[in-house]
Amino acid sequence: MRSSTGAGRPPAAAVGAAAVVAVVLAALLVWSLRPSGTSVPSDFGTRPRAQEPVTGVSSGVLDDASGEGKTSGPASEPTALRVPRVSLEARVQDVGVRNDGTVEVPDDAEQAGWYRFGPAPGASAGSAVLIGHVDDRTGDLGAFAKLYGVRKGDAVTVARGDATPVRYEVTAREVVDKDRLPDDVFRRHGRPVLTLITCAPPYDREHGGYQRNLLVYAVPAG
Amino acid sequence: MTNRIRKTAAATAGACALSLAVSVPASAESAAQEDGKASVSVFHGVPGLTVDVFANGNELLPDFKPGTLTEPQPLDPGTYDIKIFPDGEGPDGTPAIQKSVDVPAGANATLAAHLDAQGNPTLTAFVNDTSEVPAGQARLTVRHVAAAPAVDVRAGGKPIVRDLTNPHEKSLEVPAGTVNADVVLAGTDTVAIGPADLDLAEGTSTVVYAWGSAKDKNLALKTQTIGGMNSAPNGVDAGESGAMASDNESATAWLAWSAAGAVAVAGLLAARRMRARGD
Repeated sequence: MRSSTGAGRPPAAAVGAAAVVAVVLAALLVWSLRPSGTSVPSDFGTRPRAQEPVTGVSSGVLDDASGEGKTSGPASEPTALRVPRVSLEARVQDVGVRNDGTVEVPDDAEQAGWYRFGPAPGASAGSAVLIGHVDDRTGDLGAFAKLYGVRKGDAVTVARGDATPVRYEVTAREVVDKDRLPDDVFRRHGRPVLTLITCAPPYDREHGGYQRNLLVYAVPAG
Repeated sequence: MTNRIRKTAAATAGACALSLAVSVPASAESAAQEDGKASVSVFHGVPGLTVDVFANGNELLPDFKPGTLTEPQPLDPGTYDIKIFPDGEGPDGTPAIQKSVDVPAGANATLAAHLDAQGNPTLTAFVNDTSEVPAGQARLTVRHVAAAPAVDVRAGGKPIVRDLTNPHEKSLEVPAGTVNADVVLAGTDTVAIGPADLDLAEGTSTVVYAWGSAKDKNLALKTQTIGGMNSAPNGVDAGESGAMASDNESATAWLAWSAAGAVAVAGLLAARRMRARGD
């Protein structure tokens, strides 16, 4: 009889251990259920601006002043992108916009798309934009997943159809909410820059997948 | 998500349109409009008549030939008394066309000297829409300034503008690219002008003037291109499966479930031990 009452009242140590385990378990569950964002790489550098901020002139004037060379004949189209240090190699095709107004992205995650309505790599002004999938439907990582590993100073080369390759040097990387892409990304005037775009976690299937964009900026190598 | 993007885009477009209406259009000609000046070009669409154009008594354009369109010029806003004389007859003779034209501050406008539907010379001031167009799109505006009845404009054989009459215009946004366009008598397949290839570049506005006279069989097209209306796309969806995110997700989930398993095992053991002690 005594033993049965003893079993009904577990020792204090057992209660304490159970509490600790419960807390740890709860913490782990909360951690696993929150949107995963821990694999987002860190930002570095500053986004190259159209002009040095010192000029302080309104954008209307900038458009005019620096827009001179932007339509000087058809630029040579990019055919391939290489970032040797991170073994990124991708063929490049030209892309436009989808019906929903977002940029087309090549289905093949091993390929990159060049936003053909903007400047081409090697153009004298503006942001040349290359886009690639970070992963594909089967769960394999895309070529642009390697952008997660780039560092300041990495060499970037864009091969072109009928012109010499253009060489760039990585200067900055940032992660932004995908509905808050900086206006500068698609600018067609100002100092030339190569902008590489892919997707970044968190991933939310209910809300269109990846919630952020990873942007890598490279300027022409001197 | 798609809905949200659309709404955001619509709101952005609305805001842009408003600001453009009250201040500086984001056009390539905006330098002229920085100080409130209008940017005005002039189109001469009266066949067979070389003219001199005077504005408020000052000669604006000498020896202006039919079919010519001037580069945009900065003009102070205000009301202008425009007189158009046959070459060398101004400014004291009888003008071929005389009209008072209101030029709004900051406007991008085209003055068109042309024939009315009956074939009499007249002048019409058109305001050019320089609001942004969505990424991938181009704006196409058609202006009927010919001595001709109502027309339809077709692209690739399909009507895109119907029943347009002199001196009116119609404007639409179309996917950028080259279209094969012609002008037919309204509601018919009778081609009046064309066909002609129109290169509608992304982020630009192409204005097409149908001018001349049907009776004199000199109907023609003149195009004017205005740039700088491009806008950024709505975003970049460059991922599919979530593989880049799920590395961590699955790792933490695995940790959580294995912790849960460990607790279950521990609980089982503890219960057994207690029962053993009780027995």
